[in-house]
Amino acid sequence: MDTLVDIFGYLTVVLNGINLVAMTMAFGSVLFLTCLALPLAAQLKLSADAVADAGARYARWGGIATAIATLSSLTLNALVLSGTLEMPVLQVAGAFFIEAGIVQVLAAIAIVVVARGHMTRPRVAVLTALALLMLVASLATSHAAARPGERVWMLLATFSHILGAGLWLGGLPAFLSSLGQAQSRDEGAAIGQRYSLMSITGVILIVLGAIGISIGFIGGLQGFYGTAYGAMAATKGVMLGILLLLGLGNFRTIRRFAAGQGESLTRVRRFVEVEIAFAIAILLAAGSITSQPPASDLTDDRATWAEVVERMTPVIPPRLESPSHDSLAIPALQEKLDKEWRDQQASNRPQAFVPGAGELPPRNADDIAWSEYNHHWAGLVVLLVGLFALLERAGVRWAKHWPLLFLILAGFLFLRSDPETWPMGDVGFWDSFRDPEVVQHRSFVVLIIAFTVFEWGVRTGRWKNQALALVFPVLTTVGGDLLLTHNHAISNIKEQLLIELSHLFLAVLGVAAGAARWMQIRGSGRDARWAGWIWPTCFVLVGLLLLAYREA
Amino acid sequence: MSTVRPPVSRPTRRPFLVLGLMALAGAALAPLLVPAAAQAHAIVIDSNPKVNDTLGVGGNVLKVHFNSRIDRARSKLTVIAADKTEVPVTMSESPDDETLAGQVTLPFAGSYKLRWQVLAVDGHTTRGDIPFTVTQP
Repeated sequence: MDTLVDIFGYLTVVLNGINLVAMTMAFGSVLFLTCLALPLAAQLKLSADAVADAGARYARWGGIATAIATLSSLTLNALVLSGTLEMPVLQVAGAFFIEAGIVQVLAAIAIVVVARGHMTRPRVAVLTALALLMLVASLATSHAAARPGERVWMLLATFSHILGAGLWLGGLPAFLSSLGQAQSRDEGAAIGQRYSLMSITGVILIVLGAIGISIGFIGGLQGFYGTAYGAMAATKGVMLGILLLLGLGNFRTIRRFAAGQGESLTRVRRFVEVEIAFAIAILLAAGSITSQPPASDLTDDRATWAEVVERMTPVIPPRLESPSHDSLAIPALQEKLDKEWRDQQASNRPQAFVPGAGELPPRNADDIAWSEYNHHWAGLVVLLVGLFALLERAGVRWAKHWPLLFLILAGFLFLRSDPETWPMGDVGFWDSFRDPEVVQHRSFVVLIIAFTVFEWGVRTGRWKNQALALVFPVLTTVGGDLLLTHNHAISNIKEQLLIELSHLFLAVLGVAAGAARWMQIRGSGRDARWAGWIWPTCFVLVGLLLLAYREA
Repeated sequence: MSTVRPPVSRPTRRPFLVLGLMALAGAALAPLLVPAAAQAHAIVIDSNPKVNDTLGVGGNVLKVHFNSRIDRARSKLTVIAADKTEVPVTMSESPDDETLAGQVTLPFAGSYKLRWQVLAVDGHTTRGDIPFTVTQP
């Protein structure tokens, strides 16, 4: 039980993220059936069944994943509550969120059962009712459900936000599959134009919901940059903007395709693939945001604009030499940190933690210097990778070996990111996995090595398979997702935010780099050409951001 | 002249299916590796005692007011003395859905902690300590 409580916080974030991705796909696919497959059935003479099958298939997969994720989440919460309250599990099971979760699971299972066979009108009507029931049940675990006083408007805003996400993002896999099933220009155009309409409606609902949520949970401009909740919401907004640009590109392509102006549906499919990458990132960020208190409730300990600017101002020159205790900067920094710690201890604001987490020791100037040194070296390597990749894009042949630079980064991260663990510290290799932050850093090392092997093989022509070339964009996107939900477990809320801000920029650039490289490989013509310049540029920017990184 | 792409045949889809599964696994793995955030969902807005307050020996009312509605049947207050012994708290009626209230008899002077754990209505569990001092009246 103790181990379960230890990892409770991050397991909750895991399950929130998976649940949101799965549920959005499940009800988005059902809405795809309701709003596209069924109304267009008569028009789609040759592909009507295939299009309906695509919607039903993704609804089933989403339903299965939702049921598993929700059940896991309920079990975890019930066990931890029972253990920490010393209360029988059955008594814990009467909690409102568990009852609502069971409704969500039953609705998801019913979707899996009903979304089989021929998609008749009554069957789709039942599926739609089940999807809406699942969505309403999920509201029970939203911030809005726990708000004191009047909460109808916040529940409506949240409902609108989630419904819009399902309508636009949740139906993307079914849409992608359907475009591949179109048997004629007319069928392709009809599917594309109808989905554009669904997407526009989805965007309106998302934005309306976001406005309501921003007013109720963030409050003002300082809430956006001064709190973790607001910063995550702003990051979601940036990625939504990128998705809108992609959606706009699709909208125009479909319109030209329908008018016979020399466009192909393959181009739309490539854009949809990239949209799915951003959609997953946004939903994971949304899952992570639920662990944060609303910005409007955090009136103390907000970062000021001056503090944000100070933190974002690069350290010149970067820390590329191993920090020394004798360095003049260390005692000065330690003095500043000690003052911060004393101020924090004197504060009358009580701290709150998820079970398993707790107040950490004061920050140490040596630790910060080490961390900055690590980030700056990593930044230098990533900057070189970006520059070499740009050279390769410009036609310099020897620059194609740039993936090997990542091995330096992997070795460096393994040795330096957690100096208290093996091989540099006293904590054993296996024992170190109890610390989630160590697990995260080690996972990055594995990802980087995997990436290096695959990408170098592709660049040097050892592997010709296109699927292997796609390992790079997939891993880069996953890296961005990891960072998007990365939280440094430190005791000071303001410090947590200031560190998180730089990670959020890196995350968006990571997802963008992965998406652009995907487009370069899978796309063609102009799209592939500009995508080939975008992703190395993202790497250069990531390198520069890492070189500018500071923790104090 | 553009053409509509014919449905893709099964053999060429297989590598992409594997890749899709990888992406899904990656996406699932991403949050799995997230360390617990120190700060959590339900936070204390006000309390009696406040952090570092001083109370007198004997009977005292405890109140903790949160930013969220809470499930009081699945929340608790505990008072812990400096020697780690627990002082029994009798839970009492709360004035609203966001407050946890109780009564305690503090036996002797010294340092104490009011430990609270709440289940917010939306299913988030949060806990924390409020340190305070007890003196002879």
